[in-house]
Amino acid sequence: MRTGLAVVAALAGVRPKKSPILSRVTMLAAAFALLAVAPALAHHAFQAEFDSGKPVHLTGTVTDMEWINPHSWIHIDVKNPDGTVTNWMVECGSPNIMLRRGFTKRSLEVGTELTIQGYQAKNGTNRANGSSVTFKDGKKLFVGGSNPDLPPDQK
Amino acid sequence: MSVRVLLFISTIAVSAWGQGFKTPWGDPDLQGMWPGNMGVPLQRPESLGTRTTLTDAEFAQKEAQAKKQAEADSQSTATSDSKATIGPPSYWVERGTPSRQTSLIIDPPNGRLPPLTPQEQKLRKEARGGRGFPGEWRGQADTFDDLNIYYRCITRGVLGSIIPVIYNNGNEILQAPGLVIIRHEMIHETRIIPLDGRPHLSPEIRQYMGDSRGHWEGNTLVIETTNLTDKDAIGSNGAGYPGDPGHHSANLKLTERLTRVDANTLNYQATVDDPETWTQPWTILIPLKRDDKYQLLEYACHEGNIAMGDILSGARADERKETK
Amino acid sequence: MRKLVHIMIAVGSLLPAGAQTYRAPRAADGHADLSGVYQALNTANWDLEDHSAQGGTLWQTGTIGAVPAGESVVEGGTIPYKPAALEKKKANFASRRTNDPEAKCYMPGIPRANYMQYPFQIVQSPRGIMFVYEFASANRLVNMGKPEEAGSDTWMGTNNGHWEGDTLVIDVTGLNGLAWFDRAGDFASKQLHVVERFSRPDPYHLNYEATIEDPSVFTRPWKISMPLYRKVEKNAQLLEFKCVEFVEELLYGQYKKQPAK
Repeated sequence: MRTGLAVVAALAGVRPKKSPILSRVTMLAAAFALLAVAPALAHHAFQAEFDSGKPVHLTGTVTDMEWINPHSWIHIDVKNPDGTVTNWMVECGSPNIMLRRGFTKRSLEVGTELTIQGYQAKNGTNRANGSSVTFKDGKKLFVGGSNPDLPPDQK
Repeated sequence: MSVRVLLFISTIAVSAWGQGFKTPWGDPDLQGMWPGNMGVPLQRPESLGTRTTLTDAEFAQKEAQAKKQAEADSQSTATSDSKATIGPPSYWVERGTPSRQTSLIIDPPNGRLPPLTPQEQKLRKEARGGRGFPGEWRGQADTFDDLNIYYRCITRGVLGSIIPVIYNNGNEILQAPGLVIIRHEMIHETRIIPLDGRPHLSPEIRQYMGDSRGHWEGNTLVIETTNLTDKDAIGSNGAGYPGDPGHHSANLKLTERLTRVDANTLNYQATVDDPETWTQPWTILIPLKRDDKYQLLEYACHEGNIAMGDILSGARADERKETK
Repeated sequence: MRKLVHIMIAVGSLLPAGAQTYRAPRAADGHADLSGVYQALNTANWDLEDHSAQGGTLWQTGTIGAVPAGESVVEGGTIPYKPAALEKKKANFASRRTNDPEAKCYMPGIPRANYMQYPFQIVQSPRGIMFVYEFASANRLVNMGKPEEAGSDTWMGTNNGHWEGDTLVIDVTGLNGLAWFDRAGDFASKQLHVVERFSRPDPYHLNYEATIEDPSVFTRPWKISMPLYRKVEKNAQLLEFKCVEFVEELLYGQYKKQPAK
């Protein structure tokens, strides 16, 4: 029952005296078990919101981005084949993550062209999740790239 | 020797390292930004037995996996064969850094939850006619309280607010004479913990975040929390996912011990004592690292909870399809 | 020496009452100690401006939900809306039962959080000054160091504070324009800029003033002021008011499998 002391000491870098010898297979199994810790369950809600039978591939221009929690929403105007325009709402992640990475509410400008891949809302509204959100040049939103249409000095 | 005594000794030993840190009024100084680091499972895989840390080889595996994941996250172009998933972009997370700790649970010594009491097992099976407790979600969406309290943006509960998840693990500690404040980013919680020895609230008053009273034992802040409800579930997000500790009774007594080990490490330890639910108390340890650059931002959840309406109306749309 | 003391006492007794100003005790940071649990005791949260007593939005609740009479906390009496904005305020008022963000358990924003019918607590710490509001667990940490700008707009704003003598001055920007000022539909936009002043005139009160500016809504800046009352009960503390569950029927009831009849 030396658990508390052992854990604290171990985490401070002091090795526990005894370490059981595990077979290589068991070791790897244990390691992999520990790797799979992150519940993707945090996005369980998405599966109840969006329809896996209705994939969407949208290209449009940004009319607004709501930097709100629990999920941010990008509004885009999508031109339909018949020439009409539909405004879609695309659900992304918590804005706090991107704000901490240095992005701001000014980072995605109105008029920017984006391509979205995801699935449409079960309730039939023009809402989709944004599992992939990319600029015209294929670069992902908020990963190192920026709007390729911006003049170089504004990127 | 009882575990309690051993844990006490371990915190005293460790807290001796933190001797130098005092507030201007002489209390141990725990102040700082201590964001959580995801990546340690609550329960230890059974194959690891009583091992509290990974071996070098196991840890190297974990680091390699994390490195691979980080590379995937930072790829600036979508790969041509990537399939869309139902979720936000995969890189929109804060994955944390690999840790050697094999489980958050350090007691029982196998790092796993003790058994449930028979009465709790029965309660869980029968809750709401099989629909599950309000804290958890079993997949139905007939009404709003079928969803869990995290998706409803109510709260994540005391432990759910600090057990690290895939993002927004902001924790900040502020102090004033006679008070400690613990802020949690998700869902904008502020725990005000008086140190003046005042009594707890009457047991007639129940709160999701309970009622906390603190005192110092050496350099360790000991917080005792009572007056809880049984409406949240212990685990990531307070939402009671499979494998989480889940539902607990309102009579749970939580004892937390916060010790600043060194300039950049705060050990957060919490013991859950709920004999109506678990056959013995259990304890978690979450070592927290200081990160002064981390901004704890507003997480206004309920105000922007568009998903709630969409989940419910989506379920109604599915039903209409089925009846056609 | 005794004659000097007599003269001083004589002179002192001629001073108007209150000229001996109260000096608040010092907090650990050396500044005036504003820490404590406080609550407003006025009708500002119903309506910032002068108003007679009136019924509530639901006759079914009788007197519960009615509005008490109150005098304006606005300097000059009325809020200087631009004409189009005044029309929006009236529309807000007409739809207040479902559109007041307070009714929906949304965070109240600044300045409203300070004069709701729920207490709040001020804690002065070396990391900044914390305002913790009982209503909906709203809170804000006032930065007392170098002013910072936030990357996005929020309900409780970006709060940069400094001391002017014993007065805490808080400059609030980055508000999202979604909160109201009261239940009467008074509102502003994302351009809202609030400058607050908190001081402690005696052991039992704070003086609260807020100057409000939003050129897209108002013709000029305007000011509210009021006392806030320290809760003097032994062991006064905030309790929990997590109100989401109280409003889910209102917000989502229409989507339930069996809608409420």
